[in-house]
Amino acid sequence: MEQDAQLVQLCVRGDGASWEELVRRHARRVHNLCYRFTGNSTAAEDLSQEVFLRVFRTLPSYQPAQGAFPTWLTSVTRNLLVDHYRRTRRDRLTDSIDDEATAPQIKDKRSTARTPDKLAEDSELSAQLQDGLAKLSPDLREAVILRDLQGLDYGAIRTVLQVPEGTVKSRINRGRIELARILNEMGVRPA
Amino acid sequence: MNWNCTNTVERLSDYLDGALGSAEALAFPEHAAGCANCTQLVAQVSGLVARMHQIPPVQEPAGLVETIIAATLGPRKRQSASAGSLGWLSTIWQPRFAMGVVTVAASFVIIFQAVAGISGKVELNPANLFHVANRQVHLTYARSTKFVNDLRVVYEIQSRLTSPPESMSEPSPAPSSEPQPKDPPPSSDPREKSQATPHRDHHESCAAANVELAFLLTDSAAAPENLSDFALRRLP
Repeated sequence: MEQDAQLVQLCVRGDGASWEELVRRHARRVHNLCYRFTGNSTAAEDLSQEVFLRVFRTLPSYQPAQGAFPTWLTSVTRNLLVDHYRRTRRDRLTDSIDDEATAPQIKDKRSTARTPDKLAEDSELSAQLQDGLAKLSPDLREAVILRDLQGLDYGAIRTVLQVPEGTVKSRINRGRIELARILNEMGVRPA
Repeated sequence: MNWNCTNTVERLSDYLDGALGSAEALAFPEHAAGCANCTQLVAQVSGLVARMHQIPPVQEPAGLVETIIAATLGPRKRQSASAGSLGWLSTIWQPRFAMGVVTVAASFVIIFQAVAGISGKVELNPANLFHVANRQVHLTYARSTKFVNDLRVVYEIQSRLTSPPESMSEPSPAPSSEPQPKDPPPSSDPREKSQATPHRDHHESCAAANVELAFLLTDSAAAPENLSDFALRRLP
């Protein structure tokens, strides 16, 4: 955290090396959030670039008193994800009919490709989780991602989502239960 | 505490996150142990949460960081990082820089050779350089002046030997086919008359040309006053 604050200060003074270090430290976190929310690698990559371009421009406006840098960075990312979600709403409605026809085939393919390898198991679970997240409503999806995949505490999530802590808790709880039900219907057994 | 299935659903995440009070923390598992639905729900959700915490983060695409750095700081950042200690070589290999170096080196070689050739040794004193340069300029001017004078003599001799007598006797540069009037128009100026008079006699003109050649081939400073005037008047 302190390192982030120092790097941000150096960045604002125009130190390119500090900016590069800041990007390297947080690129994976930003990309994961984008990928888990959109479920699309290309969109996640484009959005990640967009996030850091915006951060680069607005970094002087960041006040450490308002919260830690990762929380602020997550807020910027989340705002861009909401914009992206609204932009692509029409595309998703037209694609949903095709998804229903192809989804069972993908599921069968994955179930036959099971291997004892740990990496493959993680990859398979990651893909199944992605399918389940895609079926969650955006409010519940982002709450679960921020809590269980990004590891944010309730206070940080409240800051990012700009909602009361009771709402945060409620969304996380409902999101977990709903996701577990979806995965159970998909045939994914809990550990 | 009176605990039901609705309480289990509502407080499930608090239970998993360890955020229940002491009385709730006792009542929750007590009810779940005796309720099949709640047992299954707790097992599914706690298993899901545990597995989500274990899933490693997705690897970001290769080159994502470099793309972001290039988009924000510009591509120069990556070039300097990859070039390393030999990065300055690329500057030298620029054609403009190399051409400049060659030009400057050639200029120094020329100056040093000129100074060494005249004074026998290289003197880099500014006063010496100025004197040498001044002398060179004057020598060059004197040589070119002598060359132009020599050319004038050569052309004069050439024109006298190759031109027909008529054109030699004509003072005007443009040749005219009209016959000359037998008598020149009367003039009150004696100088005009004296200029026109020699042109009328061919033999007299040839003799004057011979005198003039003799004068031009000797030193001009030693020439008599009248011959010098004559030569200047006849020269183009």
